[in-house]
Amino acid sequence: MSETTAPPRIVYESTVTAVGDQVQAFLGHGMLILFADDSPAELHDMSVRHTATVAEEGPQTGDTIVLGQHSMEVLAVGPVVGDNLLNLGHIDIKANGETAAKLPGDANVAKQDLPLPTPGDAFRIIRGNRSTTEEPR
Amino acid sequence: MSDYKSVKVNQGRGGWGGPLTVTPTDAKPLIYSVTGGGIHPVAAKIAELTGGEAFDGFKSSAPFDKIAVAVIDCGGTARVGVYPMKKVLTVDVHATSPAGPLAQFITEELFVSGVKPDDVEPA
Repeated sequence: MSETTAPPRIVYESTVTAVGDQVQAFLGHGMLILFADDSPAELHDMSVRHTATVAEEGPQTGDTIVLGQHSMEVLAVGPVVGDNLLNLGHIDIKANGETAAKLPGDANVAKQDLPLPTPGDAFRIIRGNRSTTEEPR
Repeated sequence: MSDYKSVKVNQGRGGWGGPLTVTPTDAKPLIYSVTGGGIHPVAAKIAELTGGEAFDGFKSSAPFDKIAVAVIDCGGTARVGVYPMKKVLTVDVHATSPAGPLAQFITEELFVSGVKPDDVEPA
């Protein structure tokens, strides 16, 4: 992994607006699903919804994902993750510690207890900043 | 008013499940596209060949009992399970296989993946 000297840059920034009833259960499987606030109603139970203010790029390996007070390093990104995020506000974060994305929509981070977001939390993707708060298991 | 035709939706390269036969009805007229960037070409083709109504799920939500088929561009976890769980025929344009927390609901009678417009043919 090459080190970058460019200052950290926010490539995606949004605010959590709602947290579905099933989100906690998904967290128990090491999985966190986000969708844009205007996503179809049938997806609301399983997802954290949010509204983006910056939507320049999807995540890349080595980026930092910030969710509320929690931040974590992106270990792998499947081929459809960027389109999903920019078009639909959609991302599947998997806390599986794997450095290859098993499914095309997976964004992997270290095995850890993913946080349960609350409305008002920031969701942010930062490039060029490796500092994370995660405590890998 | 009801002059709907059937199409067969075959699995594409690397895909899974199907083939599905999709026949809209007056009660279930919608070809429901839950995809980025508007109505997906696969949904447009199903609508064109069947006479169903292409519907953009990200513009407004449709009642499930109006949906003839859901077309998704799911990367494997969430949408692949949501529609089969509700017994809605589901076409994923990405070549995914049953996975994720809802994998148990994804059956070859309800789900087909890897689908391109050429995989949709008159039945």
